[in-house]
Amino acid sequence: MQLPAAQVAVLEAASADEATFVDALAEATDLPPETVTGAVFELEAEGLVTVSERVDETITLTDEGREYAEIELPEISLYEAALEADADDDPVSMGQVIGASGLEGPQVDIALSNYARKGYGQIDSGEITADPDADPASDEEASALQALAAGEGLDDAEVRDQLERRGLLEISETTIREATVTDDGVTELMAGLETAETVGQVTPDLLTGGEWEDVEFAEYNVEADAEQFEGGRVHILRQTADRVKDVLVGMGFQEMEGPHVDADFWINDCLFMPQDHPARTHWDRFALEQPTHIDDLPEELVTDVERAHKEGVGPDGEGYHSPWDEDFARALALRGHTTSLSTRYLSGEEIGEIEPPARFFSVEKVYRNDTLDPTHLLEFFQIEGWVMAEDLSVRDLMGTFEEFYAQFGIEDIQFKPHYNPYTEPSFELFGTHPTTGELVEIGNSGIFREEMLEPLGVECDVMAWGLALERLLMLMYGFEDIRDIHGTLCDLELLRETEVTY
Amino acid sequence: MPTVDIDPDELRALAGHDDVDDEELKDDLFGLGLEFEGRTEDGAFELEFAPDRLDRLSVEGVARSLRYQYGDARGVHVPSTNSAEWTIKVDDSVPDERPYVTGAVIRDVSLDEDGLDSLIQLQEKLHATMGRKRAKGAIGVHDLTMLKGASATDADTPTIEYVGVEPDEDRFVPLDSDAELTPAEVLEEHDTGRTYADLVSEYERYPAIYDDIGLFSFPPVINGRRTEVSTESRDLFVEMTGTDQWTIDKMLNIVCYALAARGATIEDVTVEYDDHEIVRPDLSTKTKSVPHKRIETILGLNLDPDEVIDLAERSGLEATKEDGEDADELVYEFTIPPYRVDVLHPLDVIDDLGRAYGFNELEPEYPDVGTVGGRHERSRLEDAARTQLVGLGFEDLLNFHMISEEENYERLDIAPDADAYGAGEAATIKEPYSEDFTMLRTWVMPSLLMVLERNTHRAYPQHLAEIGFTAAVDERENTGVTEQRHVGAALANHDAGYEDAKARLQALARRFDVELETPPTEHPTFISGRTASVVIDGEEVGVIGEVHPKVLVEHDLEVPVAAFEFELAALQ
Repeated sequence: MQLPAAQVAVLEAASADEATFVDALAEATDLPPETVTGAVFELEAEGLVTVSERVDETITLTDEGREYAEIELPEISLYEAALEADADDDPVSMGQVIGASGLEGPQVDIALSNYARKGYGQIDSGEITADPDADPASDEEASALQALAAGEGLDDAEVRDQLERRGLLEISETTIREATVTDDGVTELMAGLETAETVGQVTPDLLTGGEWEDVEFAEYNVEADAEQFEGGRVHILRQTADRVKDVLVGMGFQEMEGPHVDADFWINDCLFMPQDHPARTHWDRFALEQPTHIDDLPEELVTDVERAHKEGVGPDGEGYHSPWDEDFARALALRGHTTSLSTRYLSGEEIGEIEPPARFFSVEKVYRNDTLDPTHLLEFFQIEGWVMAEDLSVRDLMGTFEEFYAQFGIEDIQFKPHYNPYTEPSFELFGTHPTTGELVEIGNSGIFREEMLEPLGVECDVMAWGLALERLLMLMYGFEDIRDIHGTLCDLELLRETEVTY
Repeated sequence: MPTVDIDPDELRALAGHDDVDDEELKDDLFGLGLEFEGRTEDGAFELEFAPDRLDRLSVEGVARSLRYQYGDARGVHVPSTNSAEWTIKVDDSVPDERPYVTGAVIRDVSLDEDGLDSLIQLQEKLHATMGRKRAKGAIGVHDLTMLKGASATDADTPTIEYVGVEPDEDRFVPLDSDAELTPAEVLEEHDTGRTYADLVSEYERYPAIYDDIGLFSFPPVINGRRTEVSTESRDLFVEMTGTDQWTIDKMLNIVCYALAARGATIEDVTVEYDDHEIVRPDLSTKTKSVPHKRIETILGLNLDPDEVIDLAERSGLEATKEDGEDADELVYEFTIPPYRVDVLHPLDVIDDLGRAYGFNELEPEYPDVGTVGGRHERSRLEDAARTQLVGLGFEDLLNFHMISEEENYERLDIAPDADAYGAGEAATIKEPYSEDFTMLRTWVMPSLLMVLERNTHRAYPQHLAEIGFTAAVDERENTGVTEQRHVGAALANHDAGYEDAKARLQALARRFDVELETPPTEHPTFISGRTASVVIDGEEVGVIGEVHPKVLVEHDLEVPVAAFEFELAALQ
């Protein structure tokens, strides 16, 4: 008969005359005890051995028990101190005896609670007496502890239970198994056993030839750590951007797309930003050295935008008292916000005239000449969104944000009235950090001004907002330095280790 | 955002509310949009403000707004003015670049140290905001008793003159100086002169203001010492010059309101231009017509007309019903006080009403408007390609679009005008943040190598990929720049080779069902004989190869790197 190697070894090591412990079999076969146990049961199932089991108790001392075995039981220390203080004559103050005994902390309570029980004396009204007849040398508990510490057994069940209650020893049960070879086993042994082959790998031959039925697979250490595997993963900021896109698409928003290098006309003039506005100075923006100007702008729109800047819109409108120069508007720069995409779309320049109602968004990069620090980058992603419909109110704006931010666990949005040249009313948005509870600025929003919309040919209301994606990411993941994530200074380890969220 | 320093005690005194403690005051200021940022060394509140309500650039203006908020003031208040005694005559010689002037006489001021500080701060803040760092409007305040008006036409009209002078034509003693300097010398030798020299240095003639005694002000740079204002000054002459009459007139109104709040009397000044004459300050009010319905729509509220009128008065405006008894046709005429510079459109009035009502009192409401959402095709393609790259085992990166010439070209051993993929004329930044960010990258490969360089201490293999933005000058484009997404990938490991890169490129091509060919080519970044062009559907769109040891060593790499890069659009 063919048997796996372990079973063969175990069967050969076992005897038909007397039961052999699994441990002894393990020693004889040089196999791990758990392997031997497994083999014994396999053999029993095949009727080649019988297995008998009994439960053995093992008594081990706890750390505390071992300590008392080495020194002495606290109640004995107390008794000795009491004798020293002549408490065998008259009661003595307990404080004095305890002080002299050298007992400290919990040992004091242990000594006191066992003192009277074991007949060392009496404790009453803060005074202690010592029984002169008591004999620490014949203390059963102390002797038992010493015996156990010396590796001897403990038969007295009463003392054993008492010590267990005191937490000085632990009793554990182990199952001892013994195997005896059956007659069938002997027959097979006599007939001769073949060892089934051990294989490391499932191979095509093994499978097609049917040999897999007779082989044993070499065991692995299945608990060991495998080699670290990285594999691919989407960048955490992209993943956050994708989630934002999912949410917005779900809310009925369509995605916009457009140039990073754009004319100031689209970035600022169409937004009703006066040309002498401080944000349009070279300190805040990245103007291009080469190329310098856009070739073409829609002529009619340029005229209308210039008129809005100079004269305002509507019978009571006033424009800015600021210079307006087309050459300045044609200058190229890296866009400082993706509102340049909004103006391109709203003007009809990108996908033709847009009929209300409509919702549009983008999650794209913008560029600001800010100071680089852990929370500010020169390039970052802006979430831009707008809703075009008849008769929108600030309540619609607030409702849209609440819905959007709730998707990211940011509740209790607060609206602080604010000023932007291109929106009125305008609001800064504040939200509560999901973990720290801090109030943090999370965006800027408003209803686009008529001076902006009229030249673009939009005849209904448009509400809009912008938010830094990195801000949202830092809120969601608690990153401290955004430069570890975004850019060529990134740390691969951090990217590899960032927890997956969804 | 700009900040203004306000002494809380003075604010309480001017607002007439000594009973408000500091914490309440901070809350009330937040309600006005003035955010408490901290305290100055002197214990004053440092308040941050949005630059629309420039009438709140001083303690007097903030106190006025608080009085409206507390309900102690209502409606529009315009200080009365006495008729003009003084004239500013504008001479033909005034530089064309700065033709406008305005002014007012202020009588019976009593400025203590705080009052003087507040006036100085107001000037500075107005210069920084409306005045566009004095380029658009500059303020000069003078002690009137030190001026001697030349009488131009008759003895009753003292006159000062706004003129243009040759840079070295005349001399005066500027503030903070003991020496008599010409305007040109001020620009070179005086601290303030140097700071503002750029504003006038291109002018042929410099702006100057004269009285009968001589030159006493060199706007927009510095005043003369003779007319310096102190706490002893009782009567003031305020003049402003600039590039726009409206702007300086509004700045003047804000200064006049602030001084009137301290009990001063305003006196008109006649400004005599060549062809016309105006009287300033112009404290006339303006009106805006706003339909009741529009107010209700924007705020999302149903309002009673009396409520609208009440909200207006609490905002320092006034409203009268103009048309229509029916709420649907009702239109109000709102009166706007002369210190407001931010009301350009009827919509701005609605914002005031909303603030008076309390925007945070409004109940948010999700707009009941159905639209269909969707992704842009380009971004869907980018996502699809990224998913494939991740599936092929690449770690997705996200790098900056701005880079330096050195990183983009030199460290990869290509010249901008080389006939090699990745070369090309860069779109460059005029005033870069630092020398590390001078241009937009023309390809993604330099960023990937920078990340490898930065992570040599991290575990290999490092299989990195980025679908990233690139740009290069292209005259055929309207913006003069062609913007593309490139798929860049790099395999760094002790045994990385051409075949590893090619296998993954092939997989991408197969998945997007495009035809891939890789004819051999030469490219300075890669090892000769182990480099190929990436040709997709017959078009050369990229490069693949083993990175040249020269480039590896340059990036401190001790493992081979196989890489490819091509235009994302080729997968379409």
